[in-house]
Amino acid sequence: MAGQRSFARKLMFNAFAWTIVLVIVFPLIWMILTSLKPQSELFMIPPGFFPEQVTFEHYWRLLTETPFLTYLRNSTVLATATTLIVIIIATLGAHSLTRFAYPGREFLARAVLFTYLLPSVVLILPLYFLMINVGLGNTLASLVIAYTTFALPYALWLLRSFMAGIPDDLEAAAMVDGASRMRAFVDVILPQALPGIISTALFTAILAWNEYLYALVLVNSDDVRPLTTGVMSMLVTSFNIEWSLLMAASVMMSVPLIFVFVFLQRYLTRGFGAGAVKG
Amino acid sequence: MSGISVQGVSKSFGDVQAVQAMDLEVAEGEFVSILGPSGCGKTTLLRMLAGLEFPTEGQISIGGQVVNDKSPADRDIAMVFQSYALYPHMTVAGNIEYPLKKRKVPKAEREERIRQAAAMLKLEDLLGRKPRELSGGQQQRVALGRAVVRDPAVFLMDEPLSNLDAKLRSHMRAELIQLHRRIGRTMIYVTHDQLEAMTMSDRIAIMHEGALQQLATPKEVYARPANAFVAGFIGMPPMNLVDAKLDGDGNLSVFGRQYRFVASDGPGHSGEQTVKVGFRPEDVVLRDDGEAARVAIVEPTGHEVIVVFEIDSARIVGRVSPELDLKADDQVRLAPRVERIHVFSGTDGDRLGGVHSEG
Repeated sequence: MAGQRSFARKLMFNAFAWTIVLVIVFPLIWMILTSLKPQSELFMIPPGFFPEQVTFEHYWRLLTETPFLTYLRNSTVLATATTLIVIIIATLGAHSLTRFAYPGREFLARAVLFTYLLPSVVLILPLYFLMINVGLGNTLASLVIAYTTFALPYALWLLRSFMAGIPDDLEAAAMVDGASRMRAFVDVILPQALPGIISTALFTAILAWNEYLYALVLVNSDDVRPLTTGVMSMLVTSFNIEWSLLMAASVMMSVPLIFVFVFLQRYLTRGFGAGAVKG
Repeated sequence: MSGISVQGVSKSFGDVQAVQAMDLEVAEGEFVSILGPSGCGKTTLLRMLAGLEFPTEGQISIGGQVVNDKSPADRDIAMVFQSYALYPHMTVAGNIEYPLKKRKVPKAEREERIRQAAAMLKLEDLLGRKPRELSGGQQQRVALGRAVVRDPAVFLMDEPLSNLDAKLRSHMRAELIQLHRRIGRTMIYVTHDQLEAMTMSDRIAIMHEGALQQLATPKEVYARPANAFVAGFIGMPPMNLVDAKLDGDGNLSVFGRQYRFVASDGPGHSGEQTVKVGFRPEDVVLRDDGEAARVAIVEPTGHEVIVVFEIDSARIVGRVSPELDLKADDQVRLAPRVERIHVFSGTDGDRLGGVHSEG
């Protein structure tokens, strides 16, 4: 009897979980299926779920007839550069905020957090004029700087709490063992903070990869457009939306992120659990 | 030459004075414990010796060289931390190797020295493991191995045994004594456990509120405490301290009984003053002409019995034989052993002297 009841409960739980998964995954599946359908099948009535004929022509057209690859390169450069800059500054900054005592330290940390609380829309115009004035208008560098301004505060706070969990004694031990302060940081603190650094890097990379608003405002020529705005401006006009191409582009935009996630997943879970296991 | 000399060293953190005007001379090869209650400044002193904190005032020398401005790496020291501070991402071998690597010891020699240190501390089978796969006692030995492998002039230890259970602690105490005997290096050992300090040290430095109270051999510290704090801190259960009157002629009155004060091993006294009279529990004897007392609490420990007596409202702790078979509410007569009475100043607590005779 008890066995039956627990089986029923399991079944209910699974049905519930799968329903949620399906609801979330459905648009993604639809995106993939649409990208594989020939244009003629898109507006069939009644609509078909699976393509009657599978075609890769949209992918081929994207790669050969459009500037998609340029956008992809721009997005990659943007995400990589932003992540590198943010991680280097945030790691060193977080180390300073946790390990050194100096006047105004807490104020500094709070001021940084406060800038993060400003809605990013507020900063668009000031940043736009700033970039024009320093001669960085319409460049990838302007976007790297813009993304850094809003990724850095968050990254700093995330890493700060991570580093606060690393015992002071470890660094002291390394210094007694003959390391300089910087060496101790590299040998002992960095490996301990690695899960935190990876989580932060992932957060920053996703932000830079998916950002739309700043990319729309700060750059306006095809050679420096990232994927988000590039794909939209290329395929969405006021007269016509090329659905199949748009879906194919969306699939290809998602692939690098999924790849990175799968690759870094074990570090991520370790990072989230890191606060719990100390000893 | 690898003695340590601390001269007039003070350290303050903002308004808090952690260590004040500390003087300490440690000879080469000596084992000195720094003993004191929590927050007495002993760990701060040790961290200053290590170069992890810098003194606000004063001078620290190691091996005859002033090291005030030297970084930890440039002092010939090794340190064992209370938390062990093993590098979690390195294996046991990696942990022990790290100080050698930082000092650019060639690889072949590194391996040889790791092997020796591992053999000395029985770590051979654990070299490939990560610290989290080790028990507390094993982690402790790895931390010692990391210190020993470098063969430094001075070992600094910050309560290294306090995270171990009682049985392992007494075992490691014996191992540390042996280790010190074998390598013969100067060791500074910070602890709040008087048993560790008494059993292992050549000399004990007792600290209280940032200041050195007494620096002497364990025997001396026990037999002739320099002040009332040391008297009350050393010994388990601690020394009885009762208020008494000392008149200008050296007559001491304790519980209405007269003694003759003698400044045999203290600075003496001048005029009439209130003093603190101290005597250890084992120096409380039951005798027919003693003070009337009531037995309040009886704590048998097996080979002896700790008894709390009440004389009027004062409480006196005694250590007596189980054969006396005392029970709560028994009426007894007791007195301190005359030659073991200590007299401390009633104002600053400094030792004034002892007692010569009754009457």
